[in-house]
Amino acid sequence: MTRVPNYVVAYEATPQGRDALELGTAMARLTRAELRICLVLQRAGGVPAKIYATSSDFEALLAKQAEQWLADALALVPTDVTATTHLLWADSTSEGLIQAVADLESDRLVVGAARGGILNRFTIGSVANALLHASPVPVALAPRGYKAGVQLTRITCALGTRTGWEALLDSLAAFTEGLTIDLRFVTLVEVDAAHEKHSAVADSAAHLDTVLTYHQRHARGGGVITTEVGTGTGVEAAVEALDWRPDEIAFVGSSRLAAPNRIFLGVTAHRMLHALPVPLVVVPATPARS
Amino acid sequence: MARSSVPASSAPTPPSTPPEPATGAGGLSAKGLSAGSVGLLGVTVIGISCIAPAYTLTASLGPTVAAVGTQMPGIFVVGFLPMLLVALGYRELNNAMPDAGTSFTWASRAFGPWLGWMGGWGLIVATVVVLSNLAGVAVDFLYLMLAQLFGNPGLADLAGNVWINILTCLVFIAAACYISYRGMEATKMVQYVLVAFQLVVLLWFSIAALMHVVNGTAFDALGFSVDWFNPFLAPSFSAFAAGVSLSIFIYWGWDVTLTMNEETKNPQTTPGRAATLTVAIIFALYILVSVSVLMFSGVGTGELGMGNEDIQGNVFAALAGPVMGPFAILMSLAVLSSSAASLQSTFVGPARTMLAMGHYRAFPARFAAISPRFKSPGFATIIAGVVAWGFYAVMRVLSTDVLTDTILTLGIMICFYYGVTAFACVWFFRREVFTSVRAFLLKLLAPLLGGAILAVIFVTTLIDSTDPAYGSGSEIGGIGLVFILAVVLFVAGIVLMLIMRAVDPAFFRGNTLTKGASRDKR
Repeated sequence: MTRVPNYVVAYEATPQGRDALELGTAMARLTRAELRICLVLQRAGGVPAKIYATSSDFEALLAKQAEQWLADALALVPTDVTATTHLLWADSTSEGLIQAVADLESDRLVVGAARGGILNRFTIGSVANALLHASPVPVALAPRGYKAGVQLTRITCALGTRTGWEALLDSLAAFTEGLTIDLRFVTLVEVDAAHEKHSAVADSAAHLDTVLTYHQRHARGGGVITTEVGTGTGVEAAVEALDWRPDEIAFVGSSRLAAPNRIFLGVTAHRMLHALPVPLVVVPATPARS
Repeated sequence: MARSSVPASSAPTPPSTPPEPATGAGGLSAKGLSAGSVGLLGVTVIGISCIAPAYTLTASLGPTVAAVGTQMPGIFVVGFLPMLLVALGYRELNNAMPDAGTSFTWASRAFGPWLGWMGGWGLIVATVVVLSNLAGVAVDFLYLMLAQLFGNPGLADLAGNVWINILTCLVFIAAACYISYRGMEATKMVQYVLVAFQLVVLLWFSIAALMHVVNGTAFDALGFSVDWFNPFLAPSFSAFAAGVSLSIFIYWGWDVTLTMNEETKNPQTTPGRAATLTVAIIFALYILVSVSVLMFSGVGTGELGMGNEDIQGNVFAALAGPVMGPFAILMSLAVLSSSAASLQSTFVGPARTMLAMGHYRAFPARFAAISPRFKSPGFATIIAGVVAWGFYAVMRVLSTDVLTDTILTLGIMICFYYGVTAFACVWFFRREVFTSVRAFLLKLLAPLLGGAILAVIFVTTLIDSTDPAYGSGSEIGGIGLVFILAVVLFVAGIVLMLIMRAVDPAFFRGNTLTKGASRDKR
């Protein structure tokens, strides 16, 4: 019997939490994975105040409220997706989530990224930001107010030409194994003058051929595969130059600064987030699981 | 498809509900990745930062001298006794009912809803009063520090302007309230630095004051006398009672160390040792500071005399300059940081109590609201801030010395809710107090004695406070402001309780939190 993958959803009873749940549900449905809806509470701890305020009374009530929030979250999950709920205590939310990933042997972490951003785009909240620089498994970021379609139909994989893109492709291959879904490999090219454009684009196109060959050798899945080069005066413009379907997600690798088996959001990926209208999955430097 | 809800933690359930079956999943630790992380030094630091000695001393030295004169060091020593006795009972209650955490839940379980409600009310009122005092001290020292920083004494006088004062206080309270609402806590390192800084500055102050005495440059040098340590030389029993009431305020917060079990590395020994170490440090510090202040300033009513009503509410503000010279700004910084940090952390207690009261329907349900984003008692925190500021604003207008009067009112309120808790302990354990010597001492004798002392102090100070000369001398219709304040606060509590009873009787019928005793079959 093969192992059923599971995804940790970083839940809280806020719009961001519901964004994460929405994305988690869409990804779980696509890959027949299960959801582990996790709500992290911070230990109240001893408060240095003159008023005797043990944490126990409050923690009991907080836990009760949290169970209610989790029950409400479970009710939001459609019946074709299996989900369990987990209430965790930790010093910080991101620590609790990383611990949950380890204890629940989860394959990825889904988090609502937005915090007070504008125009439905990404502004990374503190929890998401902490995860993006420490998580041992891929982190999926849901944009603000995310609404998944019935089924995800395409995955866009954004690649750089530097070393390390194989890790991203391996992770993608693991994710899409046995699935029928369209794939699009893109490179983003920054151009500031017209005459530089052709050589840079040509280099990228050549790189994409290498990528395609690598992918076809390693991946087993169905669907239309396309390649595309996004160009613009900056990363944001290059992202905007591409067309994005409402029911697709994007994959991106970690920065070369990442420790092995950890993710670390690179500068380019960070700038992509400013313009990206779809969820982004950030993959660790070397895959945490094969 | 199968769907299951697996609570991965076995969090404590409130006393009124049966425990849920613990179905842990995946070996996730229940409460606390950091459980057992605090050692002896850590608990001691927490204990000292609870007490906030720099703030406490500046607020209480004046009123204590006003009450007992040179007997202050002796009063500080005996004043610890009722605190110790009650804290021992607290610890027993905390061990027996780990799910409960406040005077409200304990008193409700022991005595039923009515006294339980008033116990919770006493705690909330005491907090509101101390919040306003903390903010008041912070405001004074903010302007004092600005004056010292820019070498412009005129800036310090801004604190004397009622409207500037009230608005600055609003800024402090709003900031503290916001930080609590966000659920942010000071890190360990910040706590360590604040505590070390307070201790160093207070030591510095004491030594500098003694140096002035030795060099003959003290304001009104008073020869040291061993009699200062004899509390029974206080002018009258009323004076003694007022002094003890104030001493309870100065040790207020110490009991937290005794109840820190879960967090400590060795729950068997660490809390007890830390509590002892904390009180030893605090004892030494208070004795040193009180003796050196008496020797430097005397008890006269001169400019810097401890009998001068103008400086009594905030002693260090007046004395730091003459004693420490150009380094007085360090004292301003120590008191300002100590009171600002305490202001913020003190918001947590009443907010959680109000949350619990809201949950058990002793307060309107809105108080039970928990912010989904910050996981803090949002509504209760905001209400605590609004009420504390409102109280401060009214007091600032009514009283000639708002700090002195709030501290005296506070003494009465602390006596009340500590007393209720002490008696709750005795009553709750009534069936098992004769089962062992330990139980007899800790569950009956200590809390009973402590409660009785507090009850006597409570009644005595309440009666004495009717005198218009009590405290700052502010009065309404020939009756002391402190008495009126205490009565208004208690009556307001009773009225609100009756309204709540009429609107939502569930709590008062014992439907949400049941009365019981230890060894009851539940």
